[in-house]
Amino acid sequence: MKKIKISPSTKTGSHHWIHQRVSAVAMIPLIIWLCFSGVQIAQDPQGYLPVFFAYPLNAVMGIILVVASLYHGSLGMRVIIEDYISNKMKMHFYIMLVHFLSFSTAIAGILAIIRLHLIG
Amino acid sequence: MNKKPTSPHIQIYRWNATSLTSIMHRASGIALYFSVIAICWYIVHYAYQINIGIEEENCDCWSKGLLKCLFLSAVFILTGALYYHFFNGIRHLFWDIDKGFELKTAKTNSYLVIFLATIFTLATFGIAFYL
Repeated sequence: MKKIKISPSTKTGSHHWIHQRVSAVAMIPLIIWLCFSGVQIAQDPQGYLPVFFAYPLNAVMGIILVVASLYHGSLGMRVIIEDYISNKMKMHFYIMLVHFLSFSTAIAGILAIIRLHLIG
Repeated sequence: MNKKPTSPHIQIYRWNATSLTSIMHRASGIALYFSVIAICWYIVHYAYQINIGIEEENCDCWSKGLLKCLFLSAVFILTGALYYHFFNGIRHLFWDIDKGFELKTAKTNSYLVIFLATIFTLATFGIAFYL
């Protein structure tokens, strides 16, 4: 009798799915904050932009938004890359590229917000 | 060449609201991902300027007007993408708790999401510039 070969799972599917949803729920209040502050900045960019991150609430919300959105974005981009790029080599390359881009952007963005918070 | 029958490709199917919202969710997601990265690096650039809040050159040339116009249209499109992804994301979260799967509800909700995203984008820009 021929033995059925079960292909090994990557064991990341459900964890990936749950994290996508959790970060989505976490971003609902953050997006509402972003819209209000975007309108506020648009009223007077010259006067408001330099001191925007000096307020503790804005700095904290900004840092959480950067982390949550880049995390949510890299999970989503990973799904899109897995769907549309069939070449396994290329697929893993682009997934790693997205992770690297998100990771470095998150660190640089957090540092910049902390700097604006301290000097603003 | 490959003689196997292939499944009908995307241009065979009739467009409807539910498939359009699904495709637009992905497209807006990609656009938002790259815009988040661009905004983050803009904040980095802004934070490490020497004199924050002081513009160095203040020319009245046409290129600056063009840049401002392009920037505003990009912000307008991205605001639309953000609201759209936000509302459609909430619809996805309702699907995850097993609500809104009936064909009629799904169709109505697709139109509702597009309508809400349009209204909110226009309202945001109206408030930002005329208030």
